Amino acid sequence: MMDERHAQVDAIRRRIGEVENDLVDAHAAGQIDRREFVRRGTVLGLSLSTLGVLAGCAQPNVAQVSPPQTKPPQPGGTIRAGIVAPAAALDPVMISDEGGLAVLGQTGQYLVWSDKYLNLRPVIAESWAHDHNGGVWTFKIRQGVHFSDGTPLTAEDVAATFNRLADPVVGSNALSNFAGVLSKGNTKATDPYTVQFTLDAPNGNFPYLVSSDNYNAVILPKDYHGGWDKTFIGTGPWKMQSFTPEQGVTYTRNAQYWGPKTVADRMQLTFYPEEQAQTLGIQGNQVDILAHYSVSGGRALITDPTIRTTQYRSSSHRQIHMRTDKEPFNDKRVRQAVGLLLDRRGMVEGLLATKSDYGNDSPFAPVFRSTDPSVPQRQQNVAQAKQLLEAAGRSSGVRAQLTTLTHFELPDLAQVVQNDVSDGGISLSISILDPGTYYGSSKFGTSPWLDSTMGITDYGHRGVPNLLLTAPLTSKGPWNAAHFKNPAYDKLVAQYVAALDLGAQRTAARKIQLLLLDETPVMFPYYYYFLTAARLNVSGEETTAMGHIDLSRAGFVA
Amino acid sequence: MSSFGEPIGSSVTAGEPPVADDQLSVPGPEDTRVMRRERMAVLLHSKTFIAGAVILAFWIVCAIFGKLIAPDDPLLTDPIKALQAPSSAHLFGTDTLGRDVLSRVLVGARDILIVAPLATLLGTVLGTVLGLVMGYFRGPTDDVLGRIVDAVLAVPVVIVGLLSLVALGPSTITVIFVIGVVFTPVIARTVRAAVLTEREYEYVAAARLRNERTPYILFGEILPNVLGPVLVEFTVRLGYAIFTIATLSFLGFGIQPPAPDWGLQIYQHYGLISGGYWWPVLFPALAIASLVIGVNLLSDGISQAFER
Amino acid sequence: MTRFIAKRLGLGLITLWLLSVLVFFGSQVLPGDVARRVLGPFATQSAVNSLNHQLGTDKSVFVQYANWISGIFHGNLGTSVATRSSVSSIVFPALWHSAKLAILAFIIVVPFGIIGGVFAALKEGRFQDRLISVGGLSATTVPEFVWAVALILLFALLIPILPSTATPPPGSGFLTSVKFLILPALCLVFVLFGYIARMARAGTIEALDADYTRTAVIKGLPYSTVVRRHVLRNALLPTIAVVATQAGYLIGGLVAIELVFNYQGIGQVLYRAASQKDFPVLQSGVLIVGVVYLVATLLADLAYSLLNPRLRFESSA
Repeated sequence: MMDERHAQVDAIRRRIGEVENDLVDAHAAGQIDRREFVRRGTVLGLSLSTLGVLAGCAQPNVAQVSPPQTKPPQPGGTIRAGIVAPAAALDPVMISDEGGLAVLGQTGQYLVWSDKYLNLRPVIAESWAHDHNGGVWTFKIRQGVHFSDGTPLTAEDVAATFNRLADPVVGSNALSNFAGVLSKGNTKATDPYTVQFTLDAPNGNFPYLVSSDNYNAVILPKDYHGGWDKTFIGTGPWKMQSFTPEQGVTYTRNAQYWGPKTVADRMQLTFYPEEQAQTLGIQGNQVDILAHYSVSGGRALITDPTIRTTQYRSSSHRQIHMRTDKEPFNDKRVRQAVGLLLDRRGMVEGLLATKSDYGNDSPFAPVFRSTDPSVPQRQQNVAQAKQLLEAAGRSSGVRAQLTTLTHFELPDLAQVVQNDVSDGGISLSISILDPGTYYGSSKFGTSPWLDSTMGITDYGHRGVPNLLLTAPLTSKGPWNAAHFKNPAYDKLVAQYVAALDLGAQRTAARKIQLLLLDETPVMFPYYYYFLTAARLNVSGEETTAMGHIDLSRAGFVA
Repeated sequence: MSSFGEPIGSSVTAGEPPVADDQLSVPGPEDTRVMRRERMAVLLHSKTFIAGAVILAFWIVCAIFGKLIAPDDPLLTDPIKALQAPSSAHLFGTDTLGRDVLSRVLVGARDILIVAPLATLLGTVLGTVLGLVMGYFRGPTDDVLGRIVDAVLAVPVVIVGLLSLVALGPSTITVIFVIGVVFTPVIARTVRAAVLTEREYEYVAAARLRNERTPYILFGEILPNVLGPVLVEFTVRLGYAIFTIATLSFLGFGIQPPAPDWGLQIYQHYGLISGGYWWPVLFPALAIASLVIGVNLLSDGISQAFER
Repeated sequence: MTRFIAKRLGLGLITLWLLSVLVFFGSQVLPGDVARRVLGPFATQSAVNSLNHQLGTDKSVFVQYANWISGIFHGNLGTSVATRSSVSSIVFPALWHSAKLAILAFIIVVPFGIIGGVFAALKEGRFQDRLISVGGLSATTVPEFVWAVALILLFALLIPILPSTATPPPGSGFLTSVKFLILPALCLVFVLFGYIARMARAGTIEALDADYTRTAVIKGLPYSTVVRRHVLRNALLPTIAVVATQAGYLIGGLVAIELVFNYQGIGQVLYRAASQKDFPVLQSGVLIVGVVYLVATLLADLAYSLLNPRLRFESSA
């Protein structure tokens, strides 16, 4: 028995590449746990059965990854879900909001699905592999997949989809994800069911960029030129039956679907313009499921005995930036003092009703495996903050304006921050803008977000911290609202991104965490949990921390 | 109920919650001092007036001395103590940020009692000037201004307010300005109607014969005689202003956080009532209700006094 | 009569034209770039520019105004920049939704209001009168969102018999739709009751004092018959006035109620259009609300003059 397994493992280890073998060694040496081993393995393109053999048993314990909480659903019926109303026109290339992507994901499908634990699962892609350093990735495309208009899906469609998203002229919402990774024209169909991505630079996490994490990347027909909201064209398990802008969508089962047929016969998405209305909607039995709710708008659901809340960690968070190039925050002691004045316990336990992890003022959320948890958590310390302010010659008080936007608990957070820092003699005036005004053109000079002395910005979930390390914090970062310019930091980030194995990533991560705690250009007070609400008679829904909701396996329990 | 050729109920704006405005009799140019004394007597015997005055006085005291009366700092957040039910420590409970609801309700009177009267005053001043001009000159001036007034009145006040606040950005000053401007046409109409009667009196003709300058005739001669309807109009509009500002705050475009505004408090917490957290919603709601009712009782009493 | 209608129509058209100018140029003040709003903060400038060009929002305001007006004359209200669907497909269903809510509210409130008003008038000056008058006035002046919150708490959560949203599931029958509309309509009932009752009360008191009532009573008709025959008809007149003057408020002014109940009425459409800078929806929507208001007041004036002999005489003079 043992020998047989050894032989199997040896065979696999000869077949897989250097990076995969490092991963197996790291697991064997106890550097990473089983769960992380499975996750990294799926990213690199190893199948679950292969990973199972390598990890030491026939199959990885999937149940442990996704514990069953409810009875299985019975077929039939109409499942009704509530989502926040899409903010703009429904065009897969342009969608940039949670409501939009939730609609997109019903009929649209990705090459790869990134589940809530960041494991990757093949969808339109059957398997994938990379060259020796992760510079070229090859995806095998599933056969027998059809678009809802009947045309078969081929590698040409996949290539066209990614070339479209990477085209600066099109200006897709996914462009920032592909910057420096994938350029237009570098995705090619090498045969009708094989697609090859030639990257600008090697990238060990590339499969996340073609997964549901990069939510614009649903596969569209190669001749797609707008007008998605008329057809909802896609390859998914549902077919759009009717769509009323601002109100909702109804779906029926897609008879042509390549995968298992949906559990429910029909599905409805109801758009809610306001989270409070959404909360009343599920409590009043107008919908069965809410794809996502926040503590600020749905606190009533947490304690409701008729509602089942599913929660999981995410990297979604709020960034409180301080302009490092402007009075009064150009002195790092003042910034540190602000960090020490924040009452994080009040935020996590009060504002978020403990539905969040503590943030330690760096993008390394506890959910990321590369995060070094041994870096000490910054705690509230008013005395130390006062000392720092005194050393900075600011004991007579500091005045500044705190700008933020009307978005979930942000106005509340601003008021809590205002209160917390007043303990150290820092007096903040609050300015709350609507989201459009706050972001402006998102260019320096014409965006309150990037120009404000101090501001609070919402950041959505990311499967890997890469973008969070670069865009808001590197010297040339396009979202660097703190105007933080630190060559040592830039160098560490470059090291982190290039690192293919977890050990190297963790080493760089620790240095970055410590540097950011010292400099404090941005504060990350918490990483909130992703909350999904369902009525007790419903089961089988699957959500992601991006805001996707997959209802193909959902239905009513008997 | 209305002179023909004018839409009925012309002094009620579209998009405004309806409150019956009683037909006002415009006082003639009699000796006003006697009338004033009589009116005071009527007012002091009017139960509605007294009730309204008491409620309003209570809130005015809160607005001025709220911070002294309030048991806690209305802005002091303590999220750990969020959403505590009413108890001896917090009589009205605490809100989502752990702030004392009682203190916020008491101090919350301040913003609305500064903003609403100022906005109404602005609207009354502008509307009176406009109404005087329209009623006195009649003819083309009246026609042109009258059409513009009609055009504005054809759109609900809340929508006009929203549009303006989106355009100018929500702030207390903007709210005052917007409500003032939105109320101008409707006040102008009432004043115009009063002026139309007034300009036929001899004292106006006499002033004209004396070659008085037009501004003097308007503001020195006619205005004092239409002050009655202007005052009634002011109190009626004040009720509307509170209503409208509360609604705009509820929609997120009025008074901005962290101000303990009532409409804002309801907006921030109404989704919580279904979770059993009724206190951060109920108490500000009662506060708004009592204030608007108080103002309307007051204005009801005043208009009754002027009717006699 | 014809001259009167012609004059009113003419004036109405001028008012509408002025409204179109105010709305159009007023909305130009709204900050921000239309295409930027549509594409979001992270779209490239070239994409923003090309969308602005495509939408015609890079042209001068006068050209845009002319395009808009000529479109309206051709029955084209424009295309929403946010949802890319035609403005008529957004505005007219919403208008219908608002109308349904308003109609239901009136069906409930008119009988109650008239009965309450007549009752108060018959008890003029007594406790019942003050109760109805002052109570009605108080209910009227409480912002409708306060009522909305109170009613949801009571009837959707404490005694869960009515839905907390106003939009019925697709394909619902008539009765289900009505059931979903009851709570929002009740909010309007509270707001409208005091007004109608007060008007009916004033009309009744006037009619009770009028010569023909006295004559009828003297002629020996039972008091109740007199009330039914003469007084009720008079109480109906002011009610028409309420319908007319409140049309604008009911069609477009119910933003807060529509928001709380997630009801896709015209108020919410305009609210969303304003916050999204969806100019075509905003401009055409406001204009249509204006048309509704003007038509309603015109019709009510006509009905009023037809029902009221005194006014009819004046108008032909």
